[in-house]
Amino acid sequence: MTDMKEIEKRLREEAKKLLESGRVSVVLAYGKGCDERHPMPFAAMKPEEADEIVFNEYCTPNLARYLTKYPAGTKMAVAVKGCDSRAVVVLLQEGKVNREDIVILGIPAAGMKEQKTGKDVDASLTCGLANPVLYDVLLGQEIKGAAAESPYGIISKLDAMSGDERWEFWKKELARCIRCYACRKACPMCYCDPCFIDQTKPQWGDKTPTFDGNLMYHLTRFYHLAGRCVDCGECTRACPVDIPLNLFHKYMARECEEMFGQKAGMDPSQKPAMVDFKVEDSDTWLE
Amino acid sequence: MKKFAIEYLSGVIASLQQKGKVFAPVKEKDGFYFREIADPGDATLDFYNTVMSPKHLFFPQTEDMIKYRINKEGADSAPVPINSGPQILFGVRPPDVRSFELMDLLFEEGGIIDPYWVDKRKNTIVIGYAFDSVDPLDFYNTFDIHAADPRGSDIFLVRKDRTVLARAFTGKGEALLDGLAGLENASAADEKAFEDAVKKGPGLKTRKLDLNGVAKKLEAIFDAPYWQKASMACLNCGVCTFVCPTCSCFDICDETLFRDGRRCRTWDSCMFTNFTLEASGHNPRTRAFQRFRQRINHKFSYYVSKFGVTSCVGCGRCSRYCPVNIDIFSVVEKAKEV
Repeated sequence: MTDMKEIEKRLREEAKKLLESGRVSVVLAYGKGCDERHPMPFAAMKPEEADEIVFNEYCTPNLARYLTKYPAGTKMAVAVKGCDSRAVVVLLQEGKVNREDIVILGIPAAGMKEQKTGKDVDASLTCGLANPVLYDVLLGQEIKGAAAESPYGIISKLDAMSGDERWEFWKKELARCIRCYACRKACPMCYCDPCFIDQTKPQWGDKTPTFDGNLMYHLTRFYHLAGRCVDCGECTRACPVDIPLNLFHKYMARECEEMFGQKAGMDPSQKPAMVDFKVEDSDTWLE
Repeated sequence: MKKFAIEYLSGVIASLQQKGKVFAPVKEKDGFYFREIADPGDATLDFYNTVMSPKHLFFPQTEDMIKYRINKEGADSAPVPINSGPQILFGVRPPDVRSFELMDLLFEEGGIIDPYWVDKRKNTIVIGYAFDSVDPLDFYNTFDIHAADPRGSDIFLVRKDRTVLARAFTGKGEALLDGLAGLENASAADEKAFEDAVKKGPGLKTRKLDLNGVAKKLEAIFDAPYWQKASMACLNCGVCTFVCPTCSCFDICDETLFRDGRRCRTWDSCMFTNFTLEASGHNPRTRAFQRFRQRINHKFSYYVSKFGVTSCVGCGRCSRYCPVNIDIFSVVEKAKEV
């Protein structure tokens, strides 16, 4: 496994090279926050800014989120870990970014830590991939060995519940939502402008954090992410009130995998499951 | 002065419940929240600070103002009466207590009186609670608030090992404390321990920023490219404004289900695009950096020119819960050097 300091060094070198040559005008990476435990997403735009790039075990945010914030056609480089690279693949599949506009700097990452708690990132809560699925440059040794446990293992607890119990569980969780929208804003797949919940004509859901409005917002968002969620866990990490949103996304991802044999963002040559039609597609939902 | 053993906390909460609705810190999942206490055993004093600030006790996230029923001719409507009744807010940390006073300026003393805020403020007894440790993201020393600062509290609590010492600082605090069942009288040694703890408060150091000239400086650098750089990571979610004890912006919505509806006010956030969207379709703040700048300037410049104080208490929540670690302290610190 490559040392984090080594990855940081190589990230700076690559960023400097790309910015100096004019290959890209923005390098999306991590920069210094108020202390080591709080690094921030950082966009280097000049070669000398490359030295401000940092990488350590707390660099969890998924930088694919920032790709769609720049005007279409911007030449960008983006540093990605396993799940993050899957988000880039989905953005490519959906035509939100062009392959020739972006340089993907892959980071084989293991031993990441949660910023809030300082504990190891629970691999069962994310997609569990250590290596990026797509990259132009890999900034360290590929991590060998068995993949983490099944990404769906964690939802067996919900599986074991009865329908009523599961409804109670989600009712309780979603009632705590304060509608700060950190989940959708941290999500690399939530690039709609405007988001349906911000529309006023018609207004699809109440603005107040009452249960009905919360349910409208979250269920719609869950469905909008069906077959697209890459299981990076950013929504859950961003949530200030600890709603385990990713559990629902995992449900959807498992359904998608079972029905269409496809996991979001694993293969850039594939069409996304929800926009593709094959005669042999599962029709079990009709039964 | 009174005291009680921490093991007896639920007993104290139960006797407070005789006097009014009690709101106290409750542990939920990974964080603590001020909740109305039904079971006295739920309240705790073993917390650092709550996720959400206690401002929602006076300024709920959603508050009904009018209820209506649509009929053939129009609608029957009636205002929702403003009457909170006595309530007790238990275990508030010193910076949060200070935040209530900053909000009073806006909701009560600024010329326009907000009856919803005033009613609840008037009916609430605030029981403050000294910090005994420091989170590295806090910076309340910047605003001359210290860890064991009793100012603004009706009653102030200090923890001494397994004992909680309680002293009243206002008339209504004293009346409550004297009439409360189950508390022991404090000894002379306890009195001294309380005073020592308050004296030692300033010894617990948080980050500190010299705000001299900051309000003017922020005005001067309004158009500086600094804001694009400082806001680069900002996702424009509303976490910072919703956890903030001094963010006060709200929207007024009508929500109707079939024929019944309510007109309510609900928190809004200057981080949201729709916040400044005008009926004409024009939006003066379409860019993320403009909204980011607004949040900083409102607190550290506009509030100062309007009310003479900074609208921040250094509780550290916005930095602690920001998904991308934007730290308001560092943003202002760096703005000084622009």
